[in-house]
Amino acid sequence: MASQATTAARTSGVRRLAGALHRRPRLRLALLLTAPLLWLIVLYLGSLAVLFASAFWTTDSFTSQVVKVWSTDNFHQLVTTPVFREVIVRSVGVALAVTVLCALIAFPVAFYTARVAPPRRRPLLVVAILTPLWASYLVKVYAWRLILSRGGLADWLLAPLGLGGPGFGLPATVLTLTYLWLPYMILPIHTALEQLPAQLLDASADLGARAGRTFRSVVLPMVLPSVAAGSVFTFSLSLGDYITVQIVGGKTQLIGNLVYSNIELNLPMAAALGTVPVLVIVLYLLAIRRTGALSSL
Amino acid sequence: MQGIAIRLHDLRKSFGETAAVAGVDLEIRDGEFFSMLGPSGSGKTTVLRLVAGFETPDAGRIELAGQEVTGLAPFERDVHTVFQDYALFPHMTVEQNVAYALKIRKVPKAERLARAREALAEVRLEGYGARRPAQLSGGQRQRVALARALVGRPRVLLLDEPLGALDLKLREQMQGELKALQREVGITFVFVTHDQEEALTMSDRIAVFDRGRIAQVGTPAEIYERPATPFVASFVGTSNLLDAEVARRLVGAPGTYNIRPEKIRVLKESAEADEPDHTTATGLVADVVYLGDTTRLLVDLDGGGRLTAVQQNLETSAEDVAAYRGARVRLRWHRRHAVRLPS
Amino acid sequence: MRLTRTLRTAACAGAVLLLAAACDSSHSTSATGLNPPDLKAPTKLGRTEGQVDLIAWAGYVEDGSDDPRVNWVGHFEKQTGCQVHSRVAASSDEMVKLMKTGEYDAVSASGDASLRLIASGDAAPVNTALVPNYKDVFSGLKNGAWNSVNGRMYGIPHGRGANLLMYNTRKVRPAPTSWSAVFEGASKYKGHVTAYDSPIYIADAALYLKSTRPELRIKDPYALDQKQFDAAVALLKKQNADVGEYWGDYLKEVSAFKSGDSVVGTTWQVIANLAASEGAEVKALVPKEGSTGWSDTWMVSSKAKHLNCAYKWLNWIVSPKVNAEVAEYFGEAPANSKACAETSDKNFCAVYHAADENYWKRIAFWNTPIEQCLDGRTDVRCVPYAKWVQAWTEIKG
Repeated sequence: MASQATTAARTSGVRRLAGALHRRPRLRLALLLTAPLLWLIVLYLGSLAVLFASAFWTTDSFTSQVVKVWSTDNFHQLVTTPVFREVIVRSVGVALAVTVLCALIAFPVAFYTARVAPPRRRPLLVVAILTPLWASYLVKVYAWRLILSRGGLADWLLAPLGLGGPGFGLPATVLTLTYLWLPYMILPIHTALEQLPAQLLDASADLGARAGRTFRSVVLPMVLPSVAAGSVFTFSLSLGDYITVQIVGGKTQLIGNLVYSNIELNLPMAAALGTVPVLVIVLYLLAIRRTGALSSL
Repeated sequence: MQGIAIRLHDLRKSFGETAAVAGVDLEIRDGEFFSMLGPSGSGKTTVLRLVAGFETPDAGRIELAGQEVTGLAPFERDVHTVFQDYALFPHMTVEQNVAYALKIRKVPKAERLARAREALAEVRLEGYGARRPAQLSGGQRQRVALARALVGRPRVLLLDEPLGALDLKLREQMQGELKALQREVGITFVFVTHDQEEALTMSDRIAVFDRGRIAQVGTPAEIYERPATPFVASFVGTSNLLDAEVARRLVGAPGTYNIRPEKIRVLKESAEADEPDHTTATGLVADVVYLGDTTRLLVDLDGGGRLTAVQQNLETSAEDVAAYRGARVRLRWHRRHAVRLPS
Repeated sequence: MRLTRTLRTAACAGAVLLLAAACDSSHSTSATGLNPPDLKAPTKLGRTEGQVDLIAWAGYVEDGSDDPRVNWVGHFEKQTGCQVHSRVAASSDEMVKLMKTGEYDAVSASGDASLRLIASGDAAPVNTALVPNYKDVFSGLKNGAWNSVNGRMYGIPHGRGANLLMYNTRKVRPAPTSWSAVFEGASKYKGHVTAYDSPIYIADAALYLKSTRPELRIKDPYALDQKQFDAAVALLKKQNADVGEYWGDYLKEVSAFKSGDSVVGTTWQVIANLAASEGAEVKALVPKEGSTGWSDTWMVSSKAKHLNCAYKWLNWIVSPKVNAEVAEYFGEAPANSKACAETSDKNFCAVYHAADENYWKRIAFWNTPIEQCLDGRTDVRCVPYAKWVQAWTEIKG
């Protein structure tokens, strides 16, 4: 009897709580969102804020300890030192080149997987595109190092044409990054092409447009937001990369390398350098927001 | 003499094992409002897509204004289509959508805009040119689709269930407008629908499709009054199909007969049995359905068989008709309304 | 050769191993102005505490979890009853930070870290009499500027290595004997020259200038005034045109020498061995100008909670057999002279010049450049390491 009563009491307590929550949707929402919001604000935005704040500190030259005195020296150096400017321009250039290459390669691939290939085979093709993502990043980059090395696959393939491979350096970096991030570009374009209503293509043809015209006037503008969405991945991933360039970039330096080489002994400088890609990517996002790409992310 | 806008000869098209179109012959005249009516899967939309050029027939010929177009691509045919879900280009403004066909034909910009505005005016959408399709209501999108298809003044306009997505009120309004528009522009309209009422309201002629073939072609009145097959009779409007045995008893002759429910008058059983040229039968009201403007009665006939009769609610109300249930009644109809169907 | 080396290398990017030239130790102590707190070393050991907490470079404390065959912790635990808890540190800075918590008993400190630990009083002097194996440590490693102050040892030496000049024997002819092969003579191998990717590599250039441009009067490659520093940086900027790539991890250098992408450049003995074993036609040597190099020391915390176990560990890690194992696993010269008899490869000590004091005299061990010149000059300020880092970025462009 007693245990029944407590069970009943407990059940009714739970019911009351559930009822109270039901009547207060705001409370419900608050409880639901607390953890993820805390995560977002404290861990993500918080660390960004700390990064930015520490960029205004300096270091003790003997102990490498961070000296927490406000100074804009780091940003001043960032702007005035020619090598930093060069490296920033080079990094943005690499990110843009990778993005353009990815888009150019991804479009025909996605067009095939989404509209040309037999529908039954499409999921398989998507999986095939994704498989490189299952392999370790380092393995893939080292594979490219072998391909591009002296007397490697690239040299061997181009030899009959009287050419040599690009060797290690900036072109090798762009090539390898393009390979690495290509799936991130193919997938959104594939999805967009797949979701493109067939009726729109019919309608275009019906109104007198040939295939080329339909592609330019209907397919391309409708898929463009997805290309932009894919470019967010390829651009930001390329801008943040510092390992590929170490492995196949020869002596090339990108922003990531500068951050890395400063992180031990000059954390504030590393932080100042680290804000550059953040800033560039924010600008990039603002730029492509106009295309409506962010809603197709 | 009227010309022939479309001529189809023994048109066939299969998808895998299914024969969607199994031998269709059809002539559609210039300036006609022609409906293709049938249930889903009867092949009417496939015929439309074959005419538009989105599909290639397995066999048969398609002629547009006397020219064979069977193998031509959609953009080589002088027909435009209004799609079921409009198929407006979402990334273009209303005006750009409407002007699309003109742009492809390299019509100069000024003329293009003027004609697009004109087309929008025809469908009563002046001032909407700068909007995006997403900012319009369903009915407005429908009008844009119409304007887009009409702006190039095609020889034939194909409409694939264009009113299917609209609610009843809007649909009725658009039916009237479409018909008026067609009269105004004088273009041949080929209208695909599964709604028999819509087809009857708007069309000059109707082709009723049944399992990939045409069951009957005729004016709305012909289709309704003189259905050629039991399928047409039952698909177009409500029907009382009398089988051979009931027909022999009531009509006095063998064969399949059809009587439209609204042709049957419901009288008291005590009413006089004889009236010249009329047939009469008694029975028990099995069910009564009050429909507002009319009441439908299901009557089990004394000699077997069941007839549906529809009565105008001229004076009766919901309470009155309820009293019919279980009552004995006499049904009477004019002899000519028992229509014999070709077997 | 193990991956741990890679981790270690990455960590070393900023962690400079401090070691002034082994021969003039007494002198640099005062130069750096070190006045460590007066801490006492224990005079005798008591019962072991059953546990010891270590901070170490990857590859220094192996309990078989990385590779079952590599385990010198298990025997230690069985023999002494001290359970080993080790924490791998990624940099000297991290080591210093961890030691400041007082939660650790001992650390495998590199040059710059050791000096900081001594100065701040985080590391205690070590009574070498309580570490029986200390007597067998090579004398060249005892009483160094990086591990002792005023003749008091602050740790037990662990091992050392040199940065060598490696070249492809087929492509680089005649065989080089000087670092000029990667500086003035580098244009011959344009695009196939390699160099160590760290600011400390500037010292390599300084070392070369020390003998080739005596008018610069460089005494210590880690104590460069602005003029000397600029000359070294200029030399490296010139070298950059001929460099194919800089290497930071050993796998990259091995593959580059195997494929022929690199034909001449700096290396470590262990990389040279591996490349040769994998079929690369390479040789490595200390050129006539000498070389740079590194050395590590095990130090005891002044706040050690498990002092007795820590001493047991210090003795264990430099015991002949274990010191040989670590040295072979990590790829460096052991500190214990008797370790040479215990290596699995009987040639190991010869290859790594473990006992060759004349060899080590030619090595300028890594040190932290600071404003007070390490070579004793007081009339001029030297370029601190932070500026080296910046300059290295500019050299690479």
